[in-house]
Amino acid sequence: MDLRFTEQQEILKKSARDFLTKECPKAKVRELAKDPKGYDPALWQKMAELGWLGFNIPEDYEGMGYSFEDLTMHIEEVGKNILPGPYISTVVNTFALVEAGSDEQKKDLLPKISNGNCIITLAWFEENGLFDASGITLKAAHKGNDYNLNGAKVFVDSAHVADYMIVVARTKDGSGEDGVTLFLVDSKSAGIKTEVIPTIADDHLCEVVFKDVAVPAKNVLGKVDKGWSVLQTIIRKGSILKSAESLGGLSTVVEMTVAYAKERVQYDRPIGAFQALQHKMSDMWITMGTSRYLLYEAAWLESNDMPSAKEASMAKAYINEAYKMVTALGVKLHGGIGTSADHDVPLYYQRAKAADTVYGSTDFHRELVAQQIGLK
Amino acid sequence: MDFRLTDKQIEHRKECYKVCAELAKKKPKSWLGFESQFDTEEGWEFHRYCAREFAKRGWLALGWPKEYGGTGEMMEKVLFAEARGYYDLSGADIFGVSMLAPTLLAAGSEELKKEFLPKIANAELMFCELWSEPNSGSDLAGLQCSAVRKGDEFIVNGQKTWNTGAHFADWAFGVYKSDPNAKKHHNLTFILCDMKSPGITIKGIPYMSGSHVYNEVYLDDVRMPAKYVVGQENEGWAVVNVLAGFERSNLDMVYGLVKGLEDLVEYCNENKRGGQLLSRDPMIRNKIADAACQLEAVRTLAYRVADQQNRNEMGLMDAAAVKVFASELMEKYAHLSCDILGPYGQAKHSKFAKMGGIPEYMYQGCFVPIVSMGTNEIQRNIIAWYGLGLPRMK
Repeated sequence: MDLRFTEQQEILKKSARDFLTKECPKAKVRELAKDPKGYDPALWQKMAELGWLGFNIPEDYEGMGYSFEDLTMHIEEVGKNILPGPYISTVVNTFALVEAGSDEQKKDLLPKISNGNCIITLAWFEENGLFDASGITLKAAHKGNDYNLNGAKVFVDSAHVADYMIVVARTKDGSGEDGVTLFLVDSKSAGIKTEVIPTIADDHLCEVVFKDVAVPAKNVLGKVDKGWSVLQTIIRKGSILKSAESLGGLSTVVEMTVAYAKERVQYDRPIGAFQALQHKMSDMWITMGTSRYLLYEAAWLESNDMPSAKEASMAKAYINEAYKMVTALGVKLHGGIGTSADHDVPLYYQRAKAADTVYGSTDFHRELVAQQIGLK
Repeated sequence: MDFRLTDKQIEHRKECYKVCAELAKKKPKSWLGFESQFDTEEGWEFHRYCAREFAKRGWLALGWPKEYGGTGEMMEKVLFAEARGYYDLSGADIFGVSMLAPTLLAAGSEELKKEFLPKIANAELMFCELWSEPNSGSDLAGLQCSAVRKGDEFIVNGQKTWNTGAHFADWAFGVYKSDPNAKKHHNLTFILCDMKSPGITIKGIPYMSGSHVYNEVYLDDVRMPAKYVVGQENEGWAVVNVLAGFERSNLDMVYGLVKGLEDLVEYCNENKRGGQLLSRDPMIRNKIADAACQLEAVRTLAYRVADQQNRNEMGLMDAAAVKVFASELMEKYAHLSCDILGPYGQAKHSKFAKMGGIPEYMYQGCFVPIVSMGTNEIQRNIIAWYGLGLPRMK
């Protein structure tokens, strides 16, 4: 047993941290919130050059071939800084391509993604609010050799700038997992209407309406009617990586809050001398510590191809709540200034709310955990 | 990172679980949990029986240096604690084995090590602590019990409280004020004493549930030979800190919860309410899953502490975090299982109780790990002052 990062991993983490400190300071985060694209293409290219897009893509497809555990650590650094844009979405979707893509799809898309020339997002969630298979009602009707998509998806990350969308559609009548198919849809296809939904984290999540959108049969990702298991891979890996981002964010807020408590003076002493505040900060610290090793256990299992579904869901359910709890306390312990748009803590508070439904809500994951621990 | 145990550790863990599973079958009917060892004669006898079984296998000396009869390594001690916790057994004297032995190894003279370590390892002597006083709980350094040096012995007078198990223990370790004129923290002496010494009176403090675990201990001119001082005279506070620093990873408490949650899942899978299995109730599913997530979070952190200790690194802050989190999770678990049982949550261990009456027992017992071993508020202070560097209270 060795629950430490290796020296090599510490170097990777530091280089990510230094890059983001320089290239994506909070001023840029605020700029991108108002920017129509919501991400910086020039920054995206720099990330591609560093291997960030191809982090886990096999070297055969021009990727870096790093491990999932390394990626998790790397994403934690991303979360510490905040990086607007569809970075995590794209990286998570590459796993679906690697697992279920045809040779042609992999040859076509993976190198493009790795080189920073293809943004790929997931269109899963619908207005009905359900995360399980019964929530999939967007229809994909067979039309000759191709498919015709009709329906709508909401909260699709950066659909307005994505090159491709992985659309979760229903190819067979019913409401079960069988009959769900994943499609690689070119966002420039006719019949697609995309609109950015204003959201708490200004993260450019979109409503995407599909009206008779033609998709060639060769764009089915995996097998027809059997797409749910590929989506489960996306959910599982995405849960771990999104939780890593959240862990990074919450650790930054702990640091900022403790630093402020040492420097802000009232009643002739730093406010951090008052026990009520100390105890809240200790609770934030305990929450961080309990989140960390649960996350890395899930990442380690996933990285070593061991069963990880239970731990991935546990991590997502736990860290969803941890991030929200820590950031709320972070705002409160800063007093009035914690509520200001000019302060950095609210950026994390907003992202904690945004993160808690990506790749499944707390309740969705608790239900998966309930099944995994044997509740009948 | 690597969460795997070595093959040797896996074998050891299997063996610990096997032995503890067998011992668990022999629990007396009155056994509800760890505290039961102090509550009845048969509880204490069962504790001694388990202790002898563990001693046979060298498990009470796990992690000690070989020259003092030690076997194995720290991680094996942790895995042994895990198995005991899972089966809710005692047998490893928390005072002698977990606290005093490491303290003697770190701070005791060769004579004391030679005299006591073998007897702790072979379960011959059980210890208790003479620690807190009516006016010194969290602020232990302010204690009043006096130890006056007279030739080659100390004469000790005063009252100790919140002692665990003095009514059964053979020996005690304690801390007394030996220099009334010296500064705080340099006026205490740590001394071992035979509980059969004249002048010791024990008076039980009934716990809210009625069980007899805790005691007041009155010391009237008790003579403690100076050769039983651990460390230096008047520098007992340093020894107290050494003892307090031996952080248990608390994996025994964590694994007690692992078993508790398994039992709760089993109960819900086998019992109906209104014609439906409890396990089908969405609220119950959500709450049990939430508890399972929190338990896995603290279990992984506890292993992190164990890993650090195995490398001889102090994981004091993480250990404090585990203590706070696991004890408060135990409280939540007790409440959750009582809630699920509805009115049966109040039924004591009897033919009427469900789940063996453990939820009611835990509902009352859950305060113990929260207020003892440094209250959770003190633990939060420690994290704030030494972990986060926030200003210490003067």
